Amino acid sequence: MTAVAPTRAAQREAAPAAAEGPAPRKVSAAERFDRIVPALLIAPAAIGIIVFVLVPAVLSFVAAFFEVPLAGGAWTFVGLDNFVRVVTDPAIVQAIGNTLVYSALTIVPSLAIGLGLALLANKAGRAKPLVRTALFLPMTANLVAMAVVFNWMFATNGGFINEMLALAGIGPVNWTGSPDTSLLTVALVGVWRSSSLTMMIFFAGLSTIPTSIDEANRAEGIRGLTKLWRITLPMMKPTVVFATVLSVLTSVQAFDTINVMTQGGPLGSSETVLTMIWKLGFSYYDLGAASALSLLLLLALMGVGILQRRTLAGGRS
Amino acid sequence: MRFLGKTVMWAAIAVAMVIALFPFYWMLRTSISPQEDVYLSGMSLLPDGFTLDAYGRAWTDGGLGHAMLVGAIVTGAILGIQLLTCLPAAYVLSKVHSRWTAIVLGVILASVLIPAQVTLVPTFIGINLAGLGDSMAGLILPFITSAFGIFLLRQQMMSIPTALMEAARTDGLGHVRTLVTIVTPLCAPGIAAFSVFTVFATWNEYLWPLLVARSPELRTPPLALAVFQSADAGFDYAALAAGAVIVTAPVVLLFLFAQKRFVQGMSGTEVAG
Repeated sequence: MTAVAPTRAAQREAAPAAAEGPAPRKVSAAERFDRIVPALLIAPAAIGIIVFVLVPAVLSFVAAFFEVPLAGGAWTFVGLDNFVRVVTDPAIVQAIGNTLVYSALTIVPSLAIGLGLALLANKAGRAKPLVRTALFLPMTANLVAMAVVFNWMFATNGGFINEMLALAGIGPVNWTGSPDTSLLTVALVGVWRSSSLTMMIFFAGLSTIPTSIDEANRAEGIRGLTKLWRITLPMMKPTVVFATVLSVLTSVQAFDTINVMTQGGPLGSSETVLTMIWKLGFSYYDLGAASALSLLLLLALMGVGILQRRTLAGGRS
Repeated sequence: MRFLGKTVMWAAIAVAMVIALFPFYWMLRTSISPQEDVYLSGMSLLPDGFTLDAYGRAWTDGGLGHAMLVGAIVTGAILGIQLLTCLPAAYVLSKVHSRWTAIVLGVILASVLIPAQVTLVPTFIGINLAGLGDSMAGLILPFITSAFGIFLLRQQMMSIPTALMEAARTDGLGHVRTLVTIVTPLCAPGIAAFSVFTVFATWNEYLWPLLVARSPELRTPPLALAVFQSADAGFDYAALAAGAVIVTAPVVLLFLFAQKRFVQGMSGTEVAG
């Protein structure tokens, strides 16, 4: 305290505006207060994150190794039983498989479509703002509302998609009501949505590439796919990684559309890990299993995070 | 060859725009069609008639009128509280450099990576134990702060020159006054992006209200629409489409009027042009 006070006083003397500042004794009290102010300023956010993120995350981690009785009371340590139960229950294994299929159907297509659309929109000249706004729109809409609309578009009788297919002589498809197509249907909605998100990110990434690079490429005659592969993508590597991570996250965590369109059915055909965690926790009140499954999901997502770091580190060296 | 390339490009853009926009068009078209025509008109692109009856059914029978009020209160409260918790935290984490702020920053950045479903079950139990299950407070409380929001605001504050802050401090301004009178006005664009993102995320939140809002009076707009579809409306697609328009309109309008901030809030980066 004493070591700091003289330096501050010296600074104050150096600043002409502060020449007639408060008396030294008063300042030292104010300064002492100023020291704890940062802690006070950060406290509400810190408490919020501790109470609503960190403590629940730790509890979730612990609960995965315990049998949690429904009616309350002591938790019993069961070791890895919950995990064994989770990976051997056929319904949960099906949900894990569905999540992988859903991810395969959505991640790569939405990345490719998003990148393509961003490149196209970037070349739209004066129509660029209009094209961009239109293509961003799926990203902004409320997902529950769009799921309701898509439910109607995919309706077996009178739905727009089936009416179109009927013109081509294809019989009515029971999109959301058949185990063969329910996952595909929610995945189509997922691609519609995610492509818009990845396009938004690629678009932002493209705008960071200096125009001089473009001019240099033109002078060198580098065009088309060569340019995309050799110049554009490497130059926005962080953007590519960010878009990939985000599209993995949105695919793995898809919930709203599935909950509204199929409720995971029929026969669990569109059940995913997230809807399964929901069911385990809030329909079966099996908190141990719900925690174990969410922990496995977290581990998988951390794997994605590590991949992201590796890729970015590779880019630097 | 060049001409052909241009044609293909514009054709691709047109197809993409139609696919992106068609569900919105279909939603609007269905919402203004007379109820009995919705099925019969099949795939005729234009509505057969014009009526706003479906909006009335969605607003009152679907409970969307009340849900919009709940949505506005919850969104407003969460935005206000998050600004009060995130701005000071972002200020400290960008401008006060010490070992403990570095630790806090690390913890907050790590917490961004914890997905909501990992914390869902314990948070729900905690809210219930606190007697806040099925209450407005229960809808709001878990969202009083946002690690991502702190991160976004901190990014913006980092771009404010440190010399400016030091000048303010030398003039005898305390942290609170520096934050309120100097930093906050200077990072207005960041605050706008943060606000747009928070309103968007809160308005569209479905998972948490689905758990907490058991009473019909507490239903937020997306939840009210989902309930309307699964139970009351059945196959009244006109009313459902009208409900979808009502739920979607506020966020789409927000996007159209604040597109730049919206993209900044979503992608965490500034977009030129």
